[in-house]
Amino acid sequence: MKMEDMSLSGLDNTKLEALAQDIYSDLVEDACLGLCFEVHRAVKQGYFFLDDTDQESMKDFEIVDQPGVDIFGQVYNQWKNKECVCPNCNRSIAASRFAPHLEKCLGMGRNSSRIANRRIASSNNMNNKSESDQEDNDDVNDNDWSYGSEKKGENKTSVNPCLNVFFVTLAEQAHLYHMLFSFSGELSNSVNADPYKYNYNTGINYETLGPDELRSLLTTQCGVISEHTKKMCTRSQRCPQHTDEQRRAVRVFLLGPSASSLPDADTMVESDCYDASDGQVLMSRLQWDGSSDISPSDSASSKASKRTEFRSTFCTFIQWRSVSSHPLLSISLSGTNNSDSKKPKKKKKTSLGLNSTGGGGGGSGSGGGSSSQTSLVGLSNRKKKPKLPVPPAPSIYDNLN
Amino acid sequence: FYWHCVQQHARFIERFGLKELLRAKLTECGWRDQLKAHCKDVIKEKGLEHVTVEDLVVEITPKGRVLVPDSVKKELLQRIRAFLAQHAT
Repeated sequence: MKMEDMSLSGLDNTKLEALAQDIYSDLVEDACLGLCFEVHRAVKQGYFFLDDTDQESMKDFEIVDQPGVDIFGQVYNQWKNKECVCPNCNRSIAASRFAPHLEKCLGMGRNSSRIANRRIASSNNMNNKSESDQEDNDDVNDNDWSYGSEKKGENKTSVNPCLNVFFVTLAEQAHLYHMLFSFSGELSNSVNADPYKYNYNTGINYETLGPDELRSLLTTQCGVISEHTKKMCTRSQRCPQHTDEQRRAVRVFLLGPSASSLPDADTMVESDCYDASDGQVLMSRLQWDGSSDISPSDSASSKASKRTEFRSTFCTFIQWRSVSSHPLLSISLSGTNNSDSKKPKKKKKTSLGLNSTGGGGGGSGSGGGSSSQTSLVGLSNRKKKPKLPVPPAPSIYDNLN
Repeated sequence: FYWHCVQQHARFIERFGLKELLRAKLTECGWRDQLKAHCKDVIKEKGLEHVTVEDLVVEITPKGRVLVPDSVKKELLQRIRAFLAQHAT
């Protein structure tokens, strides 16, 4: 720079201008040379004329400028009126409706009732496929509820998919119920020889069952037939919604006068069963959500609103999962959420559930633990067989805390 | 002295990116494509196999010089003068 400065300072304006012109022409020549080299190389390498096609092809691909036609000359609605034959059902479908039809037809789309079909198929086969679990999780994932996938690796039973399926088709808040009934399904597995049918069919129609099935069902369930829905109550023998008289009447009605004696709840009641019946509580609540006003009777559990009860049992199962050893802990914990104020059902449940599983069950449990002791005791007293002494359960729970 | 200046302004040009600037401007204004079309004519005339660099240079450079649009020329001259003025002190 120093030398340039020295040399330039001695120049006057005209020379500067001349210099500028020189520089300019140098630059332009340089550019031209550059271009020449490029072109020459292209020629020698053979790619110079590649972007030119012959005249015929140029005419073929000329831009079309007619109305009603795009620049390639194609008509816009050309394929709309065409019909395709569905490979699945062999019907002729309009092209624009073909994709949605295929979704439904193959049972692969989101609203394609593939679960319903699978349920029907599995009820015919009584098969347990691992894919059905995965698909359930697909359903679960479809409904933006990812917790269900966590449970997947654990206990796969023949009940799980069926239960899940059942409640998806029943309720709008299907994803929550998925969760719940995956738990209750595992729990009730040990109880019933025919759990799938038990949960699936009886809730719908007692007419479809044979006398043997009815009998076995009536020994475990309340069974009172709802006037609104003509369905059997799937709650436990001690369900607060119906009296013993009603249960007796139903048994007489269904099985004949000889079967009027209510079976002892003792035989069926075990630790697992309790949780199973809790699940049935939820199931029946499900039904009742749709039907009208059955006013809760005066049990401790029904004193809480349906919502909190539901939520409580929901968290029950979650905490059961997290504890995973002591089913009774779930009972003791079931009262924890009674003290919660009203919150929107869906979201809070998920957050509560997640909290519980995340170990926050300790926090929420200990908060409501003491207040819910009475309700717990009330609950447990209603069972003939004490569900294990209630006091030890909270203490175990405290230890966990 | 003159060569000295030439060397120096070559250095100028490199340092200040005038070359790149010019090339960009010429491409942008279509000068390059015009010249390329002219090249094609020359090549077709001379025959694809036998065209040499010199042929092209001889044919193209003068045309290229002429084809540079005025706006580009003016701007470039301005910049050159500015750079020279910067370094003249």
